[in-house]
Amino acid sequence: MIRINRRTALMLGGSAMALPLVGGRAFAQAETPLKVAFMYIGTINDNGWNYAHNQARLALEEELGDMVETTYIENVPEGPDAERVLRDFAQAGNKLIFATSFGYGDYVLKVAQQFPDVKFEHATGYQRADNVATYNARFHEGRAVCGTIAGHMSETGQAGYIGSFPIPEVVLGINSFTLAARKINPEFTMTPVFISTWNNPAREADAARAMIDQGIDIIAQHTDGPAALQVAQERGIVGGFGQGADMSRFAPDAQLTSIIDNWAPHYIATAREVIDGTWVSEDVWPGLAEGEVVIGPYGEKVPEDVVADAERVKQEIIEGTSDIWTGPIRDTEGNVRIEEGQTMTDEQMLTIDWYVEGVNPPA
Amino acid sequence: MLQYRLEKRAEPSRIMLYAAPVLAVVLAMIIGATIFAAIGYDGIAAVREIFLTPLTNSYKWQDLAIKAAPLIIIGVGLAVCYRANVWNIGAEGQYVVGGVFATGVALATYGMSGWWILPLMALAGAVGGMAYAAIPAFLRTRLGVNEILTSLMLTYASVQLVYYLVRAPWKDPMGMGFPQTRLFSEAARLPTLIPGTIVHVGVPIAIVVAIIGWFVMKRSLMGFQVRVVGAAPQAARYGGFSHTRTIWLALLISGGLAGFAGMLEVSGPFQRLVPGFPTNYGYTAIIAAFLGRLNPIGVIFASLVLAITFVGGELAQTTIGLPNAASGIFQALILFLLLAADLLVRYRVRSVSTSPRGATT
Amino acid sequence: MSMDLLIAICMTVIGAATPILLAATGELVVERSGVLNLGVEGMMLIGAVTGFIVMFTTGNPWLAVFVAAIAGLLSSLIFAVLTLSLSANQTATGLALTIFGTGFSALAGQNYSAQPVELFRSIFPPELVGHQVLRLVFGHSPLVYFSLLMVVACWWFLNRSRAGMILRAVGENDHSAHSLGYSVIGVRYAAVAFGGAMAGIAGAAFPLLLTPQWAERMTAGGGWIAVALVVFASWRPFRLLAGAYLFGLVMTMELYSKAGGGPLSAIPAELWAAMPYLATILVLVLISMRRSGSTSAPACLGKPFIPSS
Repeated sequence: MIRINRRTALMLGGSAMALPLVGGRAFAQAETPLKVAFMYIGTINDNGWNYAHNQARLALEEELGDMVETTYIENVPEGPDAERVLRDFAQAGNKLIFATSFGYGDYVLKVAQQFPDVKFEHATGYQRADNVATYNARFHEGRAVCGTIAGHMSETGQAGYIGSFPIPEVVLGINSFTLAARKINPEFTMTPVFISTWNNPAREADAARAMIDQGIDIIAQHTDGPAALQVAQERGIVGGFGQGADMSRFAPDAQLTSIIDNWAPHYIATAREVIDGTWVSEDVWPGLAEGEVVIGPYGEKVPEDVVADAERVKQEIIEGTSDIWTGPIRDTEGNVRIEEGQTMTDEQMLTIDWYVEGVNPPA
Repeated sequence: MLQYRLEKRAEPSRIMLYAAPVLAVVLAMIIGATIFAAIGYDGIAAVREIFLTPLTNSYKWQDLAIKAAPLIIIGVGLAVCYRANVWNIGAEGQYVVGGVFATGVALATYGMSGWWILPLMALAGAVGGMAYAAIPAFLRTRLGVNEILTSLMLTYASVQLVYYLVRAPWKDPMGMGFPQTRLFSEAARLPTLIPGTIVHVGVPIAIVVAIIGWFVMKRSLMGFQVRVVGAAPQAARYGGFSHTRTIWLALLISGGLAGFAGMLEVSGPFQRLVPGFPTNYGYTAIIAAFLGRLNPIGVIFASLVLAITFVGGELAQTTIGLPNAASGIFQALILFLLLAADLLVRYRVRSVSTSPRGATT
Repeated sequence: MSMDLLIAICMTVIGAATPILLAATGELVVERSGVLNLGVEGMMLIGAVTGFIVMFTTGNPWLAVFVAAIAGLLSSLIFAVLTLSLSANQTATGLALTIFGTGFSALAGQNYSAQPVELFRSIFPPELVGHQVLRLVFGHSPLVYFSLLMVVACWWFLNRSRAGMILRAVGENDHSAHSLGYSVIGVRYAAVAFGGAMAGIAGAAFPLLLTPQWAERMTAGGGWIAVALVVFASWRPFRLLAGAYLFGLVMTMELYSKAGGGPLSAIPAELWAAMPYLATILVLVLISMRRSGSTSAPACLGKPFIPSS
C-alpha cells in the first residue's frame, strides 16, 4: 500500500484547491505508476469476501511492482458514502477503481459519468458504461465440486445452506450444490436458511446449530465468515466447506474443502490492460478454468475415491464437458425448467429465482 | 500547593459557550495525534487529514454540505424537543419512516412526471415522521410511558420495516433479485443545486430550517411555551401552558423534521430505498443537538464538525493508511471532549492555593 | 417434536440468551440507580475483543472473562466521569461510548481476526456434559451458570441488602437520598462500573460461548437488545431472566422453523427480528395501564443529578 508522503499530499491538496468542484478536469499527472483504488464493503480482516479482494490487491502490487500504486477504503456502506469515496478516489488521481460489492452499482455509474478517463470495475454488478466494466466469478462451479463431495459423504442425505439474501448468485450456488449432490445420491435434499446479513457470526452459528439439530450433516454457507464451519467442527458432523478463503484453521476436521476466491488474475490482467491502453468495458465471468475460482486442499476426512470424483467433476467443468447444469432439471414443483439435452445459459443462471428439485424451498 | 475546585456559575459563561468547543477540538487534535503516533501512524498527518483537508480542499465542501444537511434538519427538531424536556431519541426511526413514506409516493407515481411529486413526497416524509413520533407522544401523554424507551424501540422496528419492504413488496422487478426498490423516476429525484456537483436543495433547506427554528425558539410564543414547559413545568402550568400539548408539539416537530430529512435523503443521495438507508443520521443528530447546545444555529456548526470527522476519517484512510476504526475512535474522542467541555460553560475552575503549613483544613 | 430436538433447542436458546442476560443484568442495576447508559453495545465490543485476545494469548478462559470485565469496567468509567462528574447528557454520552467501543475493538482486534480459540466449555465430567438429557443441566459453559447466579445476586442485592435499598433510593429520588447523607454520585459510579463489567463479560461471551473467533462488530446489536430487555422486564431481575430466555427463544425459533419447515417459517424474518422491541413496547403499555399512569421505571432515569448545596 502506498503511503503518500507529506509533500505529495500537500501537492494533491493544493492542486485540488485550484480546481473548482466536481466536473472539472481530473488530475492529468504524468507519473508512471498506475494508481489503482479498491472499495470494500466490510473489513479486510473478515477471512472471506473482503479478505479475498484485499489479497488480490496485494498480489497485484507484488506482480506489477512499481507499475502500480494501490489504496483501499474498507467498511464503505452501500449508499451515498460510496459515491463520495469513489469520487475521492477519482480526484486523487486513481485511473482504475474496483468497487467490490453489488450495492455500489448506482454510485459507480454516477461517478463514472463525471470522470470519463477513469476506468471503473464493479464486482457482481450488471450495469455497464463506456468506462464501467463488470466482473464476477463462477462460484457455482466450486459449489458443484462441494456438492459432489457432499453427495458421497453425507450419511443422512441432508445438507443445510446458510445464505444472506435469495439473490441469483446465492440461489445458483444452492442449486448447483444440490444438482451435483443428487448426481451421486438422488435422494439428497438441501435446506437453505436466509439470515438477511452477510456477516453476523453469532447468527450464522445459531443457524448452523438449528440445522444440525434437525438432521443435516453437511453444511455450506454463502456468508462471509467461518462461524458455521466452527459449529460443524464442534458438533462433529460430517463437515462443511470454506467459503471465499481456506478456513481449515477454524475447522481442521470439519472443512472438507473450500472454495477460494482468487481475484488476482483479473486484477492483474485489468491493470495491465489499462496500462497498455487496451482496456474495454465488458462483462467477465471466469471460473475454475481461468483459476479465478479455486478448490482448496481436501480435508483428511475425505476418502481418496471421493477426492478423485471431486477432481473429475472439477476437470469436466474446466473442460466444458460437465453435465451438472444440463437438463432435464426440474424445480421443486416438479416442472421441467431445463429441457433434456439443454444446458442452462449464462442468462438463465444470472437471473435464476427458482430452486431445483431436492431443495426445501424457503417460505 | 494548588488545588482546583469547581464552582457553579450563576449565568452560563458567554465566552466559554464559544471557547469550550474550540478548546475541545484542539485538545482532541493533540490527544488524537499522540494516540495515532503511539500506535505507529503519522499522528500529525492523521489530524491534518481528518480536520484540515476537508476544509482546505474545495472538492470536499460539497461532501461536508450533504453530510451535514440531514444532521442539521434532524438536530434542529431534536433541539426544540429537548428544550421542552421531551427526550425523543428515536429520530433515526422517524427519519427511516419518513424515507419509507416518501418512497411510497415515489413508487406510486413511478413513470409519471410533474412538479407536484417532490412536494408530495416531502409532505409524505414529514407526515411519516410525525406519525411515527406520535406513537411515543400518545403513550407518554395517555399512559405515562417513558418516551426515551418507546422511541428507541420503535427505531429498531423501523429498520426491519425497510428490510421487509425492499425484500418483498417493493423489490425492484428489474433488480436481479437484490433487495432494493426501483430507481426513482426523474420527477421524484431531488434536483442538484449547483450543476456538476452533488449539492442538492436539501442543503439550503437545512440552513433555512435552522434559522426558522432559531427564530421560533427565540421570538415566538410557541418557542416560549416550549422553553418554559421544559425549564419549569410547575410554573408553566400556572401560566396556562398545557404540558400535554407541549409534549405532542415537541415530538411532532422533531418527528416531522426527521421524516422530512428522510425524504430529502432518499430522493437526493439515494434515489431508491435500499437496506443501507438507515445510516444512523438520527443518532448522530442527537449528538449534534447537544454539541450545538440545543440552539438551532449551534446545531449547524455541530453538524459541520461531525461531517468533517466523517469525511476526514475516510481521507485519512487513503492518504496515510489510517484504519477505518481509528477514525471512529477519533470521532468518539471529540464527542467525549466536547461533552466534557460543556462543564466549562456552566462551572468555573477556581484555583485554591493552600500553604503546606495551613493544610489542616 | 422429539425429546432430543427439544433439548437441543433449549441448549441453543440458553446460549443465545446468555450474553444479553449478562449485559442486561448490569444495565438493570445501572438504570435502577437512575442512570441510562446507552453505551452497552460499545462496552460489549470492548469486552469481546479483550476477552478474545486474552483467550488467544493465554488459553485461559477464566482470565479472559476477568480481563474482559475489567476492560468493560474501564470503558464505563469514561461514561461515568462525563455524565456523573461533569453532568454531560447521558444519551449523547452513551451513544458516543458505543462509537468509541466499535472503533476501539476494531483497531485492537485487527490482527486477531484470522484466529480461532477454544470455547469456554462446561467444567462438569464428560459423562454428564454429553448425556442426552442431563446436558440440559450440566452441559453449559460456566458463563451460563454465572449469568444465572448474577440474576439471583442482583435480586438479593436490590431487594434484601441495605446497599441495594440505597441504590434504589438514589434512582427513585436522588435529592432525598442526598439529603439523607448518601453519596448519589458515588452510588451511581459504582452502579455504572458494575454495568460496565457485566457488559464486558457479556461481550466476551460472544467469542467464548457462541462462536470462537473475533469479528468486527460481532455483538451485532446484542447490546441494544439488552437495553430493551431491561425495560421489557420492568426493571425486575427475575422477569429479566424470563425475558432473556423469551428473547433467546424468539431469536432462535426463527432459525429452527426455517431449517425444519412448518407453519412458523412463513413469518417474515423481519417480523421475528422486530419482535423483541415491539414486545417491549407492549409490556411498557401493559404495565402503565395496570398502574394507571406510571411505569415502574426508576423516577430519576436519565436525569443528571446536580446537588443543590
